[in-house]
Amino acid sequence: MNKYVLNGLYTVIGIVVIAAFAFKVFQPIQVLPRMRLSPAYNFIDQDGQPLTSETLRGQFVLYSFTYTHCPAPCYNISDTMQEVQSRLGEVDLGSIPVSFVTISVDPDRDTPEVLNAYGKELGADFDQWRFVTTTNKALLKTIVGSGFETYYEDKGDGNFALDPGFVLVDGWGIIRAEYRYTTEVSDADRILRHLGVLAEEVQNSTGTAKLAYEAAHLFLCYAP
Amino acid sequence: MSTQKMHIDSYERNWMIVSAVLLVLFATAVSVAAFGLGIQVPAPEQRVDPRTVATDPNSPWSNPGLREVAPGKYDAYILARAVPTWEYLPKEMTIPAGSSVSFYVTSSDVQHGFKIQDTNANFMVIPGQVSKLTITFDKPGTYNFICTEYCGSGHGVMYGAITVTP
Repeated sequence: MNKYVLNGLYTVIGIVVIAAFAFKVFQPIQVLPRMRLSPAYNFIDQDGQPLTSETLRGQFVLYSFTYTHCPAPCYNISDTMQEVQSRLGEVDLGSIPVSFVTISVDPDRDTPEVLNAYGKELGADFDQWRFVTTTNKALLKTIVGSGFETYYEDKGDGNFALDPGFVLVDGWGIIRAEYRYTTEVSDADRILRHLGVLAEEVQNSTGTAKLAYEAAHLFLCYAP
Repeated sequence: MSTQKMHIDSYERNWMIVSAVLLVLFATAVSVAAFGLGIQVPAPEQRVDPRTVATDPNSPWSNPGLREVAPGKYDAYILARAVPTWEYLPKEMTIPAGSSVSFYVTSSDVQHGFKIQDTNANFMVIPGQVSKLTITFDKPGTYNFICTEYCGSGHGVMYGAITVTP
């Protein structure tokens, strides 16, 4: 009797171990990592209206960083933002809204009026794509530098050192992806694919399926 | 019906038990370190093209060095290379005590290593990949960093230093 119990126990352990390996190798579910909390902020947008991090809870938000006086050839974040915005229909998002926020690191020159004109020039839909900044420079540096981990520095001659990049935040205010300098694939393609992965997780991870999604987090099954 | 048990010498059995216990201990230690204490091994952070990473103006490694992203928080973009000479760019960095530095290290040619003495930073630098690790420097002093992967005849002179001022 004892022998059968023991054999049964070994079989169960074996199946669990093999299942865990199979899960890791075949990755039936892929997720985006929960990197860290997105910073809280209180910005002024292109219409002079306040925009806080709480306003955008429950939405996927794609952040980008720039300043309108960036001289050519400036790393052009707006191309990628425009492409993502126009191709958003390709992704199955369910009913989850997506917002775009472009943060200017140059509040002296990028007043709401300047940002408004810049946005219009890019053909941005201001209900979905906002251009924001704050005149509190210490706060701006903390939000962008410490919160979004994006480096910028005023060079003093009207130019800024700025590391180009995008940050994707989910509806709970957790940073799920960062897009830094890379030569692998077009940023827009990756961002669109990641939005789909996020939407799938939010819609499907209920009940028992939630355990499978948590397993994907535990086994680091991250979408490329 | 009698089943004959295989004879195992008691010394051998004891060794087998000790090995099994060690495996369980290590698995527990790794699990606690990874999930409980949140210790992470340096992981590939992003992919870059080693042929252009040092020259592309959009690449942070075209202008390697220390950047203050927020008060007391730094990013160090370090390029390890064997051509034209074996060196790290930059070779020297100075930060105040208490700073937290995220190292982003990549190579423009062959495989290198990166070890900062008196810290737990020690990782491979692989062309095409970026290795990232964050270290907080609380004690003032000089922390030398050296290449730990044999990368050619100049391997021995490949070093640099981080000065932590009080």
